[in-house]
Amino acid sequence: MLHPLAGTLTGVSLEARSVRDATRELITSSERSAALFGDKASLLSKLWSLADECGEDDWDGEGGLALDDGAIGAAVSFIRALPTYFPLPEVAPEPDGAVSLDWSVSKTRMFSVSCGSTPRLAFSWLDGTDRGHGVAGFDGWMVPDRVLQGIRSIIGDGHTTFRIA
Amino acid sequence: MGTLPSGLPELVADTESLTRFLTQSSHFNSFGAKPSAFLPNPRSRNTSLFRIEKDDGAVRQAWEDYAAGAERVLRGYAVVIASDVRSQSLEIVAEEPPPAHANLENWPWIEDDPELQEGEAKRNRHGDR
Repeated sequence: MLHPLAGTLTGVSLEARSVRDATRELITSSERSAALFGDKASLLSKLWSLADECGEDDWDGEGGLALDDGAIGAAVSFIRALPTYFPLPEVAPEPDGAVSLDWSVSKTRMFSVSCGSTPRLAFSWLDGTDRGHGVAGFDGWMVPDRVLQGIRSIIGDGHTTFRIA
Repeated sequence: MGTLPSGLPELVADTESLTRFLTQSSHFNSFGAKPSAFLPNPRSRNTSLFRIEKDDGAVRQAWEDYAAGAERVLRGYAVVIASDVRSQSLEIVAEEPPPAHANLENWPWIEDDPELQEGEAKRNRHGDR
């Protein structure tokens, strides 16, 4: 099934929009060229499956809200914007219609990002006994430095212990 | 202290195990349950749990009683200890029926900043198993 991949951001100039559209097309082409062995393509397929599975209210039997189109779009943009060398997250639905992107290294080391329908990302982490949370703006193209650094600090530089989704 | 129809005490003891039914395989992995498995419902602002000890048979029986006729499938379950929940400033309120049901309440709710609220809620549930 085809799903709209357009971002949900507003408030950008026409010029910026043109650059964004052109860049998006480049990224899409890149994804197509890597389709045979692209982990991102596989993850995006999982995301679309999740969108279908949780596409109606009460998907969890507890009144959970359907996954929001804007949240799906934000998650797609986030996954696309991750550096190519970066380990990919697991995806999960949240009861408010957001999409959770989770990096898990162990029981006590994980990083989680919530993609909702606004240009802001909620994130939280657990690192041993240390834990925290925050919010960062996301323009749909560049993963915020705070978030990238946070993920990197959890999964480590070598990524050797990370379990690919 | 009162007794509920199930025979359980009205007040949840600190030592009690609380079981969260997981119907989404994406809500857990080989390390355990993810924070998103415990996030509160945005309408009721609470999280549904059952006062069941960590026992596959008991959990399965409770699920069958609770979800009889529903299409959803139980994919797994996560167990937390009441005292750990309370240490995060959350409250556990018994609410029957169904038997042995309880809610996690008092989640931080920041009306004018839902993203911050969500991050805080997830942080509160990091590390549950």
